[in-house]
Amino acid sequence: MSEFDMAVIQPEMIKSYIWLQTADGSIQQVEQEVAMFCPMICHEIIQKGMGSSKTYAISLPQRVNPCMLSLILDYCRFHQVTGRSNKERKSFDEKFIRMDTKRLCELTSAADSLQLKPLVDLTSRALARVIEGKTPEEIREIFHLPDDLTEEEKLEPLKNSTDDPRIRLLNRLYARKRKELKEREHLKNVETEEEHVDDRSVEDLLSFINGGNGDSKVLKTSKSKKKNRRRKEQQKNASVDESIESQGKDSNGLNSVCNGTGVDKLHPHPGETSTLPDVEDDTFPHKVEFDDGDIDDEIDPALKEKIDREVEDFARRLNSDWPERMQEILSLGQEGRPVNENGSLRRYAST
Amino acid sequence: MGDSSNQDLISDLPQSIIESILTRLPLRDAVRTSLLSSKWRYRWATLTHLVFDEDCVTLSNDRALFEDKLINFITRALFLHQGPIHKFQLCTSYLQSCPEIDQWILFLSRKDIKELVIELGESEWIRAPSCLFKCKKLIRLELFRCELDPPPTFKGFLCLKNLNLYQVFVASDAIESLISSCPLLESLSLSYSDSLTLNIYAPNLKYLCLEGEFKDICLQNTPLLIVMSVAMYMTEDIAEHMQQSSSCNFIKLLGSVPYLERLIGRIYFTKYLSIGDDRGRYPVTYSHLKIIELYQVSFEDMKEILVVLHLITNSPNLVELQISGSSNTLTAMEATDLDFWDKECPSPCLFDRLKVVKMTEMSGVPHEMEFIKFLLESSPVLEVMSIMPCPSVMDGRLNMLIELVRFRRASARAEIVFIQC
Repeated sequence: MSEFDMAVIQPEMIKSYIWLQTADGSIQQVEQEVAMFCPMICHEIIQKGMGSSKTYAISLPQRVNPCMLSLILDYCRFHQVTGRSNKERKSFDEKFIRMDTKRLCELTSAADSLQLKPLVDLTSRALARVIEGKTPEEIREIFHLPDDLTEEEKLEPLKNSTDDPRIRLLNRLYARKRKELKEREHLKNVETEEEHVDDRSVEDLLSFINGGNGDSKVLKTSKSKKKNRRRKEQQKNASVDESIESQGKDSNGLNSVCNGTGVDKLHPHPGETSTLPDVEDDTFPHKVEFDDGDIDDEIDPALKEKIDREVEDFARRLNSDWPERMQEILSLGQEGRPVNENGSLRRYAST
Repeated sequence: MGDSSNQDLISDLPQSIIESILTRLPLRDAVRTSLLSSKWRYRWATLTHLVFDEDCVTLSNDRALFEDKLINFITRALFLHQGPIHKFQLCTSYLQSCPEIDQWILFLSRKDIKELVIELGESEWIRAPSCLFKCKKLIRLELFRCELDPPPTFKGFLCLKNLNLYQVFVASDAIESLISSCPLLESLSLSYSDSLTLNIYAPNLKYLCLEGEFKDICLQNTPLLIVMSVAMYMTEDIAEHMQQSSSCNFIKLLGSVPYLERLIGRIYFTKYLSIGDDRGRYPVTYSHLKIIELYQVSFEDMKEILVVLHLITNSPNLVELQISGSSNTLTAMEATDLDFWDKECPSPCLFDRLKVVKMTEMSGVPHEMEFIKFLLESSPVLEVMSIMPCPSVMDGRLNMLIELVRFRRASARAEIVFIQC
C-alpha cells in the first residue's frame, strides 16, 4: 500500500486511546469511550487535557489498583454501550457483583474515588445485602472488625435494658471477669504504690513493731487503704450500679470515719461517693477514672462536710433497701467475692 | 485484639459510602452496627433517611407491649440521632395514634425534615400538631388518616412538591389555601376527604389524583397538568345539587389543561362531567392527550355518551382508549335514540393516531355496539380493538359477536379480539 492509501485508511480505523497510570506506577492504554464513562477521568481529559500520551498519562487515585481498574473498566465497557436493555444491564450487574467481600470493599472504594456513582450504588447494595440479617459476631468476622467494645457498649441500643435484669447481671459478671484478668497485669503497679504509701507510715510501723499492740487502728487503716485501692480499681471499670461494692467501700469509709483516723484515707471516698448518682438504668454508664497516685494528705473542711453528708445520705438509702440488697449479696457471695466486704458490711449493719 | 494482618476491610470507607450502605439496610440492622466496633458505634446516628416499621422491634403477641416497644425504639433513635434528618417514614398498622407523635414531629421540624410519611393503624386518626406546619423545608408530605388544621399564621410550604393526603379530615378552605400557598407543588393526591369543594390553584401542578366524594371541583389554574386521575363518588343529593347549578362541570374540570397527556376517570366521572350547561362551548383541543381511560361509563345516558365523544373528538393525537361500561341492561336495551349515531355524530371524524381500543364490561346494549361501530369506522390506523363482555352477560355474547363481525373497519390492520371470561 502506498503511503497515500495508508493516510486515507488509518484515521477511520484508529480508535482513540487514553493512557492511565495507577498508583503503583504501571501505565496502560484504554479505549477513550470506555474510560470516559468515569466522571473523574472524563474531567481529567476535558478540563486538563491529560491522557493523550504515555508521558501525560492520567494518574488515578491511590485506591484504584490495577486489579480494581480492570474490573471497573469491564463494567464501563459493558454499560457505555447505549443499545442495551434494562434487563440486560441488570443481569450483567448481578453477575458482576459476585465476588468475595474483600474485593467488593476495594471495588466500592475505587469506584468512589473515580466518582462512578452507578457502580458505587451497585456495590453498596451488595455490601448491604452482606450485612443484613447477620449477627454482630458474623459481621465482625466477615469484615475483620476489631472487637473493641466493652460489654456495656454491646448492649443492644434502643432496647429498654431494664426489660431483663439478668442481662445486666451477666454484663457485670463478664466485666468483672475481664477486669480480674487485667488486674493481674496491674498487680505490679499496685505493689509499687503500696510501697510508696507504706513509706509514709514507716514510723508507725516501727513504733508498732517496737511498741507491741500500739496502733491497731493504723493496721486497720492501711488494710482499708489496700481494700480501698482494690475497690477503686474495680470501681474504675465496673458499672455504676454495682451496689454491693459501693456499699462495701462506703462502709469502709464509715469505718475510717468512726475510727477517726487518717484523714488521707478519706480522700479516695469523696470522689467515689460522688460517683453514686441515683442512676437506676445502666444505659448510659458513668465511667469513673482515678489515678492510683491520687492520694493526698490534706482534705479541706468543706469537702469533709460534703463527704459526711453524702455518707449519711447513702447510709439512709442503704437502710431502706437493705433486705433487697441482702438477697443480692447472698446470691453473688458465691461468686468468690472478697470476704472482707461482707464482713465489713455486717459490721456496718450492727452500728 | 488488634491483629494487623487481618486488616479492617470496611470501616475506613468514606462516610458517604457507609451512609449509602446503612440506608439500604432495614433500620434495625443499621442501628445494630453500633455493636460492631468502636468506630461503628455512632455511625448509624448520622443517617439522614429514617424508615420505621414494625420490623424495628421483635414481634410480640401482647399488642400493647409491642406498641410500647416500637414507640420507645423510635423515641430513642431520634434522641440518639445527630445531624439533619431528611426523610422520616413511619408506616405500620401495628401502631395506633399516640401522643408521642407530636413530639416526634416537633423534633423533626428542628432537623430540616424534607420528606415526611406517616401511615398508622386504622382505628384511630392522628391529629396533626401545629409544629407540622413549621417544617419549612418539606418537599414531600404524605399523611394517612389524620386531622389537619393549619393555623391561621401558616404561610405555606414553600418547597413542597409532593402532597398526598389519604383520608384526611380537613376543611375545604383550609385545603384550598394550603394548595395555593405551595407554589412549587407538582403532584397532588387527595383521597377520601369527603365532601370537599375544591378550587385548585396550582400553577406548577403536573400530576393530580382525586378520589372520593367531592361537592365540586374546579381546576382554576393548573396550566401544566399532565396526568389527571379522578374517581368521583357521588350520592344522590350531590348529583341533585349539581344539576341545579348552571356551571358546566366539563369546563370546570377540563377547561384549562392544554398539556394533558393522560386522563383517567372512574366511578361517576363521566356522569359528573355530563352535568351542567354545556351547549357548544368547548374551546379546548387536547393536542397532547394520548391516553384516555374511562370507567363505569353508562351507555344508557345520552349525556355521558356525548361527553365521551366530545373528549375523543377533541384529542387529535389520541393513541389509546379504554372504556369500561356499566349499563343497566334492561333500560339500555330499550334505547330509543339510536338515530343519533346517524344524524348527529360528527361523521367525517377521523382518529388519525388511535391504535389501541379496549372495551371492558360490555353488556352488548345498542349504544355500546353503535359506539364500537363508530370507532371502527373512524380509526384508519387502528391495530387492536379488544372487547371483554361483562361476566354476567352469557346469553348476549353470541349476538354481540354477530354484530361485531359485520362492522366495517377503516383500518386494514385492525384486529378484533373478543376476550372470553
